[in-house]
Amino acid sequence: MKKSHENTYAIYLLTDDLLHIIYKKGHCIDLPAAQLIVKDRMQLQQGRKMPILCDIRNLVQVNKPARDYLAFEGSQWIKALAFLIDPPVTDVISALYLGTQAQNVPTRSFTKESDALDFLRSL
Amino acid sequence: MPNNDDFRVKRIQKMLLEMARGNFFYRLEPSDRNDNMASLAVMLNMVNEEIRASFIHQGFANTRNTPQCIIQLSLLLDSKGIVEMVANSTCSLLSCLPHDLIGRPIIQFMTEVSQKRWVKKFPKLLKKERTETILQLELHTFEGLLIKKDFNISVFQAFDGSGQKILLDTVFFSKGAPFGTGLPKKNLKVTKGIKEPKVMLRPQDIQMIRDVHDMIINHLERDLPTLKDLALQMGTNEYKLKYGFKQLYGTTIFRFQTQERLRKARTLIEHSGHSLKEIAHMTGFKSAAHFSRAFREKYGQSPSDLRE
Repeated sequence: MKKSHENTYAIYLLTDDLLHIIYKKGHCIDLPAAQLIVKDRMQLQQGRKMPILCDIRNLVQVNKPARDYLAFEGSQWIKALAFLIDPPVTDVISALYLGTQAQNVPTRSFTKESDALDFLRSL
Repeated sequence: MPNNDDFRVKRIQKMLLEMARGNFFYRLEPSDRNDNMASLAVMLNMVNEEIRASFIHQGFANTRNTPQCIIQLSLLLDSKGIVEMVANSTCSLLSCLPHDLIGRPIIQFMTEVSQKRWVKKFPKLLKKERTETILQLELHTFEGLLIKKDFNISVFQAFDGSGQKILLDTVFFSKGAPFGTGLPKKNLKVTKGIKEPKVMLRPQDIQMIRDVHDMIINHLERDLPTLKDLALQMGTNEYKLKYGFKQLYGTTIFRFQTQERLRKARTLIEHSGHSLKEIAHMTGFKSAAHFSRAFREKYGQSPSDLRE
């Protein structure tokens, strides 16, 4: 089964074993944006806990309320999380996020999509 | 706007200087480049936000005597949106002189997103004789930093018959005296009256309390042991755990757990198909009735009202 969805900030591709989220270019993510991103993700997953590949290479900025929301309210139904990054900008965004928020799911950043998929599938 | 490395370094230096002074309310404009300088600016913005959040929290919830300075940003506009009058501290915040602002349209000083928001809102504001609203706006300072805040906007009629006026008003908090010594300092003793004893926390105590915090949010469905047992488990004493947690997070361990359970439950109510009973159970509440009561206390509506 393959399903997709799109909102202002991201594109979602749902396969049988993985959810792929790609952030669109040029957006600054604030709290209402984060709420929409989480809402759409949860509606797609319908209660299924899944590994998530989150492509943040186009992100410009995620502000503090949005980071807090994504890390806490937005962490449900995630089995493992891999960020796809493009150093240096999105590298520091993911590093700060990982360094300041308590994670309860395995989370890592990768520059290569194949490495990210290997990580998600190994768990 | 120039965008060479020299210019960008100067911006970063300016931002660091403001942070050193205790002004954590500025922000650097994000760049569309993906280079080391841009990554440094992004990092600085995020670190700045983290510090701001922790010091506001510390200031309001914990320390007994932290003096806070309030800085008011006020602008009086005419019905065309031209600045008529400014408070002195507005000029300090925007790093300019009164004549840089007075007589010019306020929209000139806004970022693009705020300009769009303002253009949309402005005609609606003027429709009523008097109105009050809150609008988030972001302004450019004259030194190239950004400053964003919810502004209280009041529209009123001038006594002299010169028509409608608009007052844009907001306040910022600064850790120290914000702009040198030339301005009146309004010191607030924000947490006067807290009676809890203050405990001395060593770095390892703070780490231990953070571990408790993380353990709670990562296992919300689990019940906590008694304070005594938890302290034993963490290799500390009950007193340090109890008051140390309050000192760091501004609330008790058990209240914190309930609050975090409710936050998670709210997301599940909004976006999942689980029944309210299941959600109560998943987030660690003993009964649906207790869940419903606690939820209503925090959010002002019952879980079933929210679901509808």
